[in-house]
Amino acid sequence: MKNNRILFITVLIVILLIVFTGCAQETSDGQTADFDFDKDITVVARDAASGTRGAFHEIMNIIVKENDTEVDKLVVGALEFDGTDKVITAVEGDKYGIGYISLGSVSERIKAVAVNGAEPSVENVKSGAYSVSRPFLLVTKGTESDLVKDFLKFSESTQGQKITNDMNFIGAADSPEEYTASGMSGTIKVAGSTSVAPLMEKLQEAYQELNPDVVFETQAQGSSQGIKAAIDGSYDIGMASRELKAEEASELNRYVLAIDGIAVIVNNENPKSDLAADDITNIYIGEITKWNEVK
Amino acid sequence: MQIRQSNFNEIVMQAIFFLSALISVLAVLAICLFLFMRGIPAISEIGFTDFIFNEKWGPVNIPASYGILSMIVGSIYVTAGAIVIGVPIGLMCAIFLSEFCPDNIYKIVKPAVNLLAGIPSIIYGFFGMQVIVPFVRENFGGNGYSILSASIILGIMILPTIISISESSIRAVPESYAEGSYGIGATKEETVFKVMVPAAKSGILTSIILGIGRAIGETMAVVMVAGNAVMPLDKIELLKPIRTLTTNIVTEMSYASGLHESALISTGVVLFVFIIILNASLSLISSKTQRN
Repeated sequence: MKNNRILFITVLIVILLIVFTGCAQETSDGQTADFDFDKDITVVARDAASGTRGAFHEIMNIIVKENDTEVDKLVVGALEFDGTDKVITAVEGDKYGIGYISLGSVSERIKAVAVNGAEPSVENVKSGAYSVSRPFLLVTKGTESDLVKDFLKFSESTQGQKITNDMNFIGAADSPEEYTASGMSGTIKVAGSTSVAPLMEKLQEAYQELNPDVVFETQAQGSSQGIKAAIDGSYDIGMASRELKAEEASELNRYVLAIDGIAVIVNNENPKSDLAADDITNIYIGEITKWNEVK
Repeated sequence: MQIRQSNFNEIVMQAIFFLSALISVLAVLAICLFLFMRGIPAISEIGFTDFIFNEKWGPVNIPASYGILSMIVGSIYVTAGAIVIGVPIGLMCAIFLSEFCPDNIYKIVKPAVNLLAGIPSIIYGFFGMQVIVPFVRENFGGNGYSILSASIILGIMILPTIISISESSIRAVPESYAEGSYGIGATKEETVFKVMVPAAKSGILTSIILGIGRAIGETMAVVMVAGNAVMPLDKIELLKPIRTLTTNIVTEMSYASGLHESALISTGVVLFVFIIILNASLSLISSKTQRN
């Protein structure tokens, strides 16, 4: 009886010891290994509803459009996370990982690679050399009231650009001027992109502090809806997070509110620091699965 | 006068207690109502079979597809994995605690188990992302975000449920059972494994079902280790990422709108049905035990 009990406890301790020493050995092993180009790439994406994903997949042609259909060709088995922080943590922890985040969120924890030779910097995004970016546009029909003009002036002022930059977007105005309150009153109706909406909301709040009599009506249901609403005049300002199509541009005034750069990130141990846009697309649609297939 | 006063107090207090009871019932009803009112129309718009038996989830495609079969299967796999890992360890721990454990060890193990139950699930998720995922990646292959990682994390998370309920149900077996067993010459081990544990069967089963309930509904920990990829059924593997019902809701809820949002609420309806089935089987077990 007594022996059995001792036996039982010994077996339990032995099992625990095996489990724990097992852990310790394996973890120390992993850290010494070098970058193995034959390993599978870990593709990290954002969740389907994310604006960053929508823009990145569209710019990189991961979303394929044919006639009336649109299909996201993201490779089966790609990790999907619902936040920038989780994408960073996943790429930071996986040597063979690749992901994408807003340019403003890049940190030392991961490495932002150049695309087609252009470094992901604010200057390159502004000049257009870095291709993975999208404009945040405000469009009007050209028949807008003084009030709407005043608000657009505010969005391009030093105050407006500061709000834009604080939200990690790149202010697009070349020589912003100080805005002084106009004291106007009335209603401004705004519709469009969900990606622009958070920035728009901040701008509206700041504008209302200076001009308390102005009321905003905002609806965010996507860029296309905003452009359509601006064309037919049902809303004063349309928000778009994509470039205008030719037939849309001919009917609208276009203000670039900001530019949103998207950085392609890899693990710090990854020797690659420059990727071709085609390779990135092929990684994301599953045509390339190993790092040695990347030029 | 005195009597009236106490009657009045009695009535007031009764009303207060009744109200308290009513609030929890109302809460359940309100949640049911919200889920079904928002979820059922979406299911009928998508089509029941296109929703439940379709493995293609592409809410931003045009035309969009909202099939959650892959996630239903994912939830089942991850929960089954958690049971395979959690139940043997939890059960053995419960037997050890109730029958073999010396007092001084009990004083350490029991509070540790209780503490395990109190750790917030986001901490489990963080631990999983930083420790379990690299561990799986280096020892088993793949990129670490997998069914296995999710099962390990959930297996640990259901331990306290299984241990405390199993332990108390083994302790609740009358002492006379053990005495009878010793009386006919059985050893301590025979008594424990052939008399005490079988006698506590319904309590142990209850603990397992509550564990399943915890595992299937867990969200924050799973979303950080499972990888959340929607996998076609024939590509699901132990070391590949997976999306469960809960993680589908939490990853996409923040930006979803229109039918996409309703489809996520419908995902919640399916999850709710799973929980109802679990609870029904629980009350089935307890009514059976009472009859015996």
